[in-house]
Amino acid sequence: MIGKLFLTLATFALLHAAYSTYEHLSLLKALGKPEGSLPLDIVYESVLALIVGLLGASLNAPPLKDITWASEMKKRTIDGMDSRLGFAQYKSRGKLLF
Amino acid sequence: MSLQSALEQLAAHRIKNTRASQDVFRNGLLVLQKKGLKKLGDDGWTFLEQLTLASIDVGRLDIADQCLQLIADKFPNSPRVDCLTGIRIEATEPPETALKYYADILEADSANAGIWKRRISVLRRTGKVEKAVNELVQFLDTFYTDVEGWLELADIYATCNQYEHSLQALTHVLLLTPQNPFYMLQAAETAYTAEDFPLAIKMFLTVVDMTDGDDSEQLLQESTPLGITVRAWFGVKLCARRIAQNTNMKSPSNTSLPKKVELLDELATERLRVAYSSSGQKGEIAKGRQEVFAWVAAPLA
Repeated sequence: MIGKLFLTLATFALLHAAYSTYEHLSLLKALGKPEGSLPLDIVYESVLALIVGLLGASLNAPPLKDITWASEMKKRTIDGMDSRLGFAQYKSRGKLLF
Repeated sequence: MSLQSALEQLAAHRIKNTRASQDVFRNGLLVLQKKGLKKLGDDGWTFLEQLTLASIDVGRLDIADQCLQLIADKFPNSPRVDCLTGIRIEATEPPETALKYYADILEADSANAGIWKRRISVLRRTGKVEKAVNELVQFLDTFYTDVEGWLELADIYATCNQYEHSLQALTHVLLLTPQNPFYMLQAAETAYTAEDFPLAIKMFLTVVDMTDGDDSEQLLQESTPLGITVRAWFGVKLCARRIAQNTNMKSPSNTSLPKKVELLDELATERLRVAYSSSGQKGEIAKGRQEVFAWVAAPLA
């Protein structure tokens, strides 16, 4: 949940920074000096959005699984391994008994 | 019981290949009632196949027919659909009808693995075991990597008490899936039944290695054996007893005898005691603990 919160915050921050840049550039264009540099706080906001977004994406990842065969085999059962579903017999005497 | 949990359980059954037909049927019916079919998209067809097989198994042929109709409409000429139709025929018609249906399909396409397997299964069910074995051996000559087929061959031989042939089939399974401790356990138990005790004890110890050897943080003395490891330790103890009774035993597979059988026996005894001493929920005693303790305490020879 924290991960999703961070991700949404980071997205909003990034969009806000992008919109601020657009506004700033249009202001510069209106004032007649289109070559001005970007104000520092927009840069800080984008970098902050990157860091918070990284944190959010890492926290939002699904739970990790083991990589060894042994750990996967611990979760299986004998019935699952021996089920031979291609040869399974679907006709039993259950209908006559029950 | 929510749609999401039903879908998750169905996916788990698909992955683990378990044949839990009642559970699948219950979950599948819930998914159909809550109209979850559209939610699955492409996965919906495997779900329908799973539900068809479970309904036939449970005896609800009406649901099976509905699902089968949906699948057959979407995939008209598919070999998988032919298999499902064949299984549906097997469920109600006499076996000759099913065999004729399979023979027709195999004439048109003689390498259809699914149909061939169904044919072998019908032959085994109707008691024509020799014919089933011959066909199965031919099938495995063509499709060597089919683990299910080798397991089925081992099972047929074991039910006819031909344990050496069963062990031979299981060695092919071990070649194809070397990382699987369950098949090694089955091979060990088959070797024990075929009276090849040195081979059996080696295989049981390999199973222990495969299932327990993963704990690098804990020392072996501190960890408790769980699951099939306990079964393997029982096997080690049984084999150690047999070998101690007859120290000049000859192994049919020329496997060498273990040098220190008494130590193996002691180790197996200790591991079994630990396994049955661990308290389960709320400190209750493991079932059968007294019997196991009495049995392992009996002298070796």
